[in-house]
Amino acid sequence: MGALAQLGAALIAVCSPKSLLFMVAGVAIGIVFGSIPGLSASMAVALMLPLTFSMEASLGMNTLVAVYIGGISGGLISAILLNMPGTASSIATTFDGYPMAQKGEAMRALGIGIVFSFLGSLFSFFILSFFAPMLADVALKFTPVENFGICFFALTMVAILSSGKMIKGLLAGMLGLVFAMVGMAPIDGTPRFTFGSTELMAGFNQLSTLIGIFAVADILKSAESMNAKGIQTIPVTKVKGFGFSMKEFVGWLPGALRAAIIGTGIGILPGIGGSTSGMLAYVTAKNMSKHPETFGHGEPEGIVATECANNATIGGAMIPLLVLGIPGDGVTAMMLGGFLIHGLSAGPLLFVKNADVVYGIFAACMVCDLIMLLVEWTCIKGFVQVLKVPKHILLPLILVLCAVGAYATNNRVFDAQAIVLFGVIGYLYHKFGLATTPFVLCFLVGNMTETYLRRGIMSYKSFGAFFTRPIFDVFWFIACGVLIWSVYKEIKGTKKEPQD
Amino acid sequence: MFIKKYGDIIVGIVYAVLGLALIIAARMLPKSQVMDIGPDFMPTVVGTLILVLSIILLLQAVQELRKNPDKEVGKDESDYKRVLLSLILALLYVFLLKPIGFIICTLVYLFCQIYVLAPDSHRTKKDMIMYLIIDVVFTLIVYYLFRIGFKIVLPAGILPL
Repeated sequence: MGALAQLGAALIAVCSPKSLLFMVAGVAIGIVFGSIPGLSASMAVALMLPLTFSMEASLGMNTLVAVYIGGISGGLISAILLNMPGTASSIATTFDGYPMAQKGEAMRALGIGIVFSFLGSLFSFFILSFFAPMLADVALKFTPVENFGICFFALTMVAILSSGKMIKGLLAGMLGLVFAMVGMAPIDGTPRFTFGSTELMAGFNQLSTLIGIFAVADILKSAESMNAKGIQTIPVTKVKGFGFSMKEFVGWLPGALRAAIIGTGIGILPGIGGSTSGMLAYVTAKNMSKHPETFGHGEPEGIVATECANNATIGGAMIPLLVLGIPGDGVTAMMLGGFLIHGLSAGPLLFVKNADVVYGIFAACMVCDLIMLLVEWTCIKGFVQVLKVPKHILLPLILVLCAVGAYATNNRVFDAQAIVLFGVIGYLYHKFGLATTPFVLCFLVGNMTETYLRRGIMSYKSFGAFFTRPIFDVFWFIACGVLIWSVYKEIKGTKKEPQD
Repeated sequence: MFIKKYGDIIVGIVYAVLGLALIIAARMLPKSQVMDIGPDFMPTVVGTLILVLSIILLLQAVQELRKNPDKEVGKDESDYKRVLLSLILALLYVFLLKPIGFIICTLVYLFCQIYVLAPDSHRTKKDMIMYLIIDVVFTLIVYYLFRIGFKIVLPAGILPL
């Protein structure tokens, strides 16, 4: 039977009323977990896992898939409305989503985010259904060396991000690298910059750093002008449908496709993850855009790129998970556990032995994606009610949620304390005109870069031997090209200025 | 305004110090016995980059300042009293969260923080009562949502819960 026929049969099986009901519930629970920072998709899957034990295998797996998909896409809601990324994947959504919401376009921003989340995941699920075994072979070709190439490439993106004010942008990013180095060094576990504190040994938690830099800094920034501006509520313009026209939609499609490919591609590589794919897609969109200066000030294309990419990562991550049995991150590891419990044997023979189960999972992914779209769309009106709360009341409530969320991630009160530190950094960055985006990108990629570099050196002995790997060469030379080109543009730009 | 005029110079100096500190700290880290690239490699690279970049920034900033020393800058009308108070409150909150407990800390913090942020015109008695109600309701909802819904017990502190 062809893949298409099997997928069709599985789709019909998934749409039984009972499984639909469980999937709607699963998606809704996932969205709640996804939208609250600190409560992650992996936590939602972990909590739901025991509940699925008593279900029959296919129903149990469908429910898990539903929770996973809801958990990943739920992050965009709090990112857009509150500037508080609910999951690490939705950081880049705050860059343009929050400014849009501040301009009164909250409903439009949510609509765009939801639709392109849907399309991003759908794209990746189609790739998953038809090309999974082939792509899994590619994933196996990626050794630490290639991964280092990708990380290095991501780091050079900082240069593009900060064109115009390159020196300050690069410096802003460097601090992110410094914070990423705190804790135990990769490979050998040497404590670095911990100043004798045991809490610092584990390093700074990703989520608490991001929450601090965005949400907590926002409170301090807003405090500056609270009295002068008087009582503030954010206006919400009502929109029909999803808030954009067919013409706009068609215009965004090429960007969306690019982002979806980036997202799926990054997803396939175990260990890089949704947050990096969202950032990379965002930077690419900004770089390819005819009007890069509008990015960061409420540009819909920014939301399109990030949401498409971070959701496309789901399907990508499922490829090594199902075909090779390699989970890429915490959440997929949890999913793998769930699948195994329900009798799936992940591995190369999966498509031969368990074809019906696999296509069942694929079908569940697609249907859950649609459910996610419908659930979030019906709830947009409810979500935006949050903005009716005046700012001086809303912001303290957000801070409490942030602190609790940071605490809940690891049950460490230290993480909650770290958010204030990063809040201060975010505020100082704002005061001194440094951009936070490079900081975030470098912080996310910094640790990975070092780990892969050192792992690569371990297996290849010297850095020169890295160049015998063709995929690494491609990333390395593109990265160097990007760097040289941006420096050249920067110097040309500064020379021109005085004559104007 | 001070920050606008000398901002880049301050940033440059702070980063230069940071870069130097990184390089020195990296030298004190143990070298790897088996590999050329040990735990000291990244800090050294990053520290050097920071140092170089910050010196360029300093040079640029000084040049800029020489070119137009009396650059007109707008007056800073930021309300630093509210910023500072908010920061102190947030710090107290996160550091007392564990010893005193989530419920008491949040009740006190939320009310104070809303009061600090509220515009002067919104600090009447009626507003206060509203803030207090929001404060209590929100704290309890969050506590029980996490405890019952998500099975996460927030620090109890001195309350016997």
